[in-house]
Amino acid sequence: MAHRGGERDFQTSARRMGTSLLFQLSVHERELDLVFLDHSYAKPWSAHPDASSARPTRMLFVTPRRQQENTIESDVPIDVETVTSTPVPLYDNQKARSVMNECERHVIFARTDADAPPPPEDWEEHVNRTGWTVAQNKLFNKILKALQSDRLARLANEGACNEPVLRRVAVDKCARRVRQALASVSWDTKLTQWLHTTLVETLSLPMLAAYLDALQTLKGKIPTLIDRMLVSSNTKTGAAGAEALSLLLKRPWDPAVGVLSHNKPSKLPGSPLILIASSGPSSSVFPTSRRHRFWQSQLSCLGKVIPVATHLLNGGNGVGILQCLEHMIGGVRSKVLEVHSHFPHKPVILIGWNTGALVACHVSVMEYVTAVVCLGFPLLTVDGPRGDVDDPLLDMKTPVLFVIGQNSLQCHPEAMEDFREKIRAENSLVVVGGADDNLRISKAKKKSEGLTQSMVDRCIQDEIVDFLTGVLTRTEGHVGSEPRDQDAEKKKKPRDVSRRDLAFEIPERGSRPASPAAKLPASPSGSEDLSSVSSSPTSSPKTRVTTVPLAQKSGQLGSSQLLKRHMQRTEAVLSHKQAQVPISSEPTEEVEKEELRVQLKRHHPSSPLPASKASKRPKIKVSLISQGDVTGGAPEAAGGKPITMTLGQASAGTKELTGLLSTAKSNSSEGGVAASPAPAGVSSSTSPTALHTLQSRLVATSPGSSLPGATSASSLLQGLSFSLQDISGKSSGLPPNSPSGLAAQATSVKLPTPMQSLGAITTGTSTLVRTIPVATTLSSLGTTPGGKPTAIHQLLTNGGLAKLASSLPGLAQISNQASGLKVPTTITLTLRGQPSRITTLSPMASGPAGPEEPTSQALASSSQRLPPAP
Amino acid sequence: MAAEEPRGAFSSAWRHQEMPTKPNYALKLTLEGHTEAVSSVKFSPDGEWLASSSADKVIIIWGAYDGNYEKTLYGHNLEISDVAWSSDSSCLVSASDDKTLKIWDVRSGKCLKTLKGHNDYVFCCNFNPASTLIVSGSFDESVKIWEVKTGKCLKTLTAHSDPVSAVHFNSTGSLIVSGSYDGLCRIWDAASGQCLKTLAVDDNLPVSFVKFSPNGKYILISTLDSTLKLWDYSRGRCLKTYSGHKNEKYCIFSNFSVTGGKWIVSGSEDNLVYIWSIQTKEIVQKLQGHTDVVIAAACHPTENIIASAALENDKTIKLWMSDY
Repeated sequence: MAHRGGERDFQTSARRMGTSLLFQLSVHERELDLVFLDHSYAKPWSAHPDASSARPTRMLFVTPRRQQENTIESDVPIDVETVTSTPVPLYDNQKARSVMNECERHVIFARTDADAPPPPEDWEEHVNRTGWTVAQNKLFNKILKALQSDRLARLANEGACNEPVLRRVAVDKCARRVRQALASVSWDTKLTQWLHTTLVETLSLPMLAAYLDALQTLKGKIPTLIDRMLVSSNTKTGAAGAEALSLLLKRPWDPAVGVLSHNKPSKLPGSPLILIASSGPSSSVFPTSRRHRFWQSQLSCLGKVIPVATHLLNGGNGVGILQCLEHMIGGVRSKVLEVHSHFPHKPVILIGWNTGALVACHVSVMEYVTAVVCLGFPLLTVDGPRGDVDDPLLDMKTPVLFVIGQNSLQCHPEAMEDFREKIRAENSLVVVGGADDNLRISKAKKKSEGLTQSMVDRCIQDEIVDFLTGVLTRTEGHVGSEPRDQDAEKKKKPRDVSRRDLAFEIPERGSRPASPAAKLPASPSGSEDLSSVSSSPTSSPKTRVTTVPLAQKSGQLGSSQLLKRHMQRTEAVLSHKQAQVPISSEPTEEVEKEELRVQLKRHHPSSPLPASKASKRPKIKVSLISQGDVTGGAPEAAGGKPITMTLGQASAGTKELTGLLSTAKSNSSEGGVAASPAPAGVSSSTSPTALHTLQSRLVATSPGSSLPGATSASSLLQGLSFSLQDISGKSSGLPPNSPSGLAAQATSVKLPTPMQSLGAITTGTSTLVRTIPVATTLSSLGTTPGGKPTAIHQLLTNGGLAKLASSLPGLAQISNQASGLKVPTTITLTLRGQPSRITTLSPMASGPAGPEEPTSQALASSSQRLPPAP
Repeated sequence: MAAEEPRGAFSSAWRHQEMPTKPNYALKLTLEGHTEAVSSVKFSPDGEWLASSSADKVIIIWGAYDGNYEKTLYGHNLEISDVAWSSDSSCLVSASDDKTLKIWDVRSGKCLKTLKGHNDYVFCCNFNPASTLIVSGSFDESVKIWEVKTGKCLKTLTAHSDPVSAVHFNSTGSLIVSGSYDGLCRIWDAASGQCLKTLAVDDNLPVSFVKFSPNGKYILISTLDSTLKLWDYSRGRCLKTYSGHKNEKYCIFSNFSVTGGKWIVSGSEDNLVYIWSIQTKEIVQKLQGHTDVVIAAACHPTENIIASAALENDKTIKLWMSDY
């Protein structure tokens, strides 16, 4: 087995070596891989059972250490003439030079008075400084100095073989200095606008080009501030000039632009789901770093990316680090479970940065995932390096790839080798030369090697692909057939049980006392409490993780988690946006297309929602309850997945609604054995393993309105339950609507046409009730039964229920009624679906391409509704 | 024995390669024209011209092969200490005691730009390979980098505590080396003006001259203890020491001669021109003819021609040629 694996790895690597351009480019830095030099009859490195599972380290851009020469000086032939050949740039030089000079070519756009002769070379003497304030003089001088240094760098680098990279480095530096100068005046709008105008008027063309380059770079980093600064000039130059300028400043140029876009990474085999563990609780104050967002988009080229964000419990008050960590691990873990249950046949890959990497590793010990990728790894702790005998990470069995920076503070390549030796899992290590904890290479490295971060990132990505392809192709071959896998599953099962038991404790211990956000209900009815507790309009991102032991249908002892999550809509939207919107300076075409599509969708005329008005007020609470699978935690594709969407209406206006509600009630009450009578029948007929009972209830938690069936539902239903309290509006009768509630509720009037999945559900006639899974902040729920998770929850979270309703004939009726009532607080939506149709939506049937389209649709709505990011 | 053998073979190979160990330069021409001590001579990169600067405040252009007088460039108010060619041989820059540098158009003989900024004598100057920048060293202890096009000073490097005796760009233009009487050689990043390396010569002997090797791998440092040293600056190691001449007072130019054998050529205060073999450090020839200190020696870029110039008792430039 190992032998086979080794061979395949070899082939993969060899193939990649031939194809991946960047791999080739970096190959001269690699030390000879002894494995590849083996004789054909030699056993592979891992042949011996006791052999370490650490694979040879791979070096990316690591400059080999110079050997100490012991030769006698007089014998060293001295060649003063021969110039060592300069390495060929790793990018298309011509194209790079062309983009490099973009600003110089178009500098004239910036000039306010295009007819006037450009300032002479000795413009500096002609600057009329009379009337300038001290602050103005100071600022101007600072900028001038920055531009002058930039000028020097430009001239010094002229004609150098890697001029584009050197220029990029210099421009970045100049931009930094300009930014510092502007920050020193606190970006005073008046002052910055004055500065911009003055510079445009007085600078000579080459200097102006340098200034534009700096602006272009800053625009990518701080667009709002730069826009504010340019406002005045735009009004003067007129529309054409302003447009040209804004086009020019759109995004900073990158020397590697051609190479990277021509050599796109391909999708990973087996359409894996990539879960990104966050490296800390997210908060609106410290948004995800640009770098992480960029990588998220990069990884989405390889497979479906699901970022798992954790939120500070209780707004971070009184939460210990340990609790926080446990919370994070719990979050990722439940996400993994979720994903498994919805996509039992898709490989799951955990990726994390730094602490996130650690979280990913820990989760991989507890839950089955296909592979783990650690980008940066905090090996060194205050107590010394990890890897002591009691370190749980040593028990890892999941193949893991470590990518660390050579100059990382939290990690050391040599200590890493020691650590790797001890891990039982097959593991690889990639050392990125001159890179820090976040795998960013230093400026000196960029200069000396002629690299840009984008090129390094691509090489890292290639390494990741290389590793994952090896792992995935191996596991793919085994699925279900090989004895080892079955064994693994058998082994996994008992482990799972015990793990789950453990899982109860973690959130309980970790979060219960801390905040309501992760409250473990003492009784199942607690879920109701939660819903009311969390209905504050300003609720900061909260996550609820609740675990409830439930009897398995088959009577076996077992437990499944009832996860209740509370999420704030905007957060989910954000996370999805981050996942989808390219943040990289050089978005791939693919992403651009997607963007375009999104935009198209955005403008797609959608029928006005009859219920839009009506749904403005109600608080929506959606709970998703899914029955855990008895055999292995990952439910087999559920044939029938009953969904109940209940929009609770305080003034139960319609009999129909109440009827539905009662259905839901009875459904819940029957819970453990089968979902509501109607769905039960369906599910049993279609597939006995249909274990998902998903119920979503949109509940108006108006004081007056009671929650029908909520208690019993949550108490009796097995499986996962996600509760989403989207909007914390007041009761219908109460006039004071909190603005935030309203905003949140602005119920996606322009929501794009409903997703196919939903459409499919609704075409049916049988009384199958299907719950829409709701996104939880914790998890970008990749787990929805239909395989179109994000879309659905985006819809929901965006208050798109009404829209959804409108798309369904039956529902439209309801919503119409609701709207007629003017002050409806509760609407019950029942999605009816034909069993057969629903089966097609089961995870098995969902193709790899499935999850994407709805996502973009959902994105359309989300971006549309996205509140200004903090 | 076994260890000896390859070495023997190695050295014999060297001997074979260096078989004609004498360059056999002979005096061809003596150029008279300057009325004061000559301070510097430089061949143009295209090999056509020879420029000489002098204490008589003028620069004279000569034909490099025939030694014919071409033209005189007037403009400086005081003695000129150094002159340098741009890569395309169309421009000259000169450093003068009048605290300025001047950029000259050789064809027209006009001064294009006067670079003002130094507070004391400007002593040395050079173009970068792209000829977009000029670097200058001065008695005001600073090194300045100027933009050729605008004549603006872009950067002032202040890191010497004594007059700067020599400045030079490497072959790619990415580095600047400066030498000073304070006994230091510093290597600067041309793009940022950051000091990358400092080489402290033994005993802080005043550095009288410094320059990069043609490929930029080594630097040749002259100190006022009559030695020339070849440094591998990236490792901070002195590889070769050349001595035998006399250099205790003046900043004497030295050079790499690579057109025939690989030599080091330097003037000397004993009125001779010295030629060493780079590899063996032996003096392979001394050129006799000048009647005063040979302050400068320059090597033609493509032919085996050496130009040497002497101080005020001599005032001549001599061209030496070899059929090596």
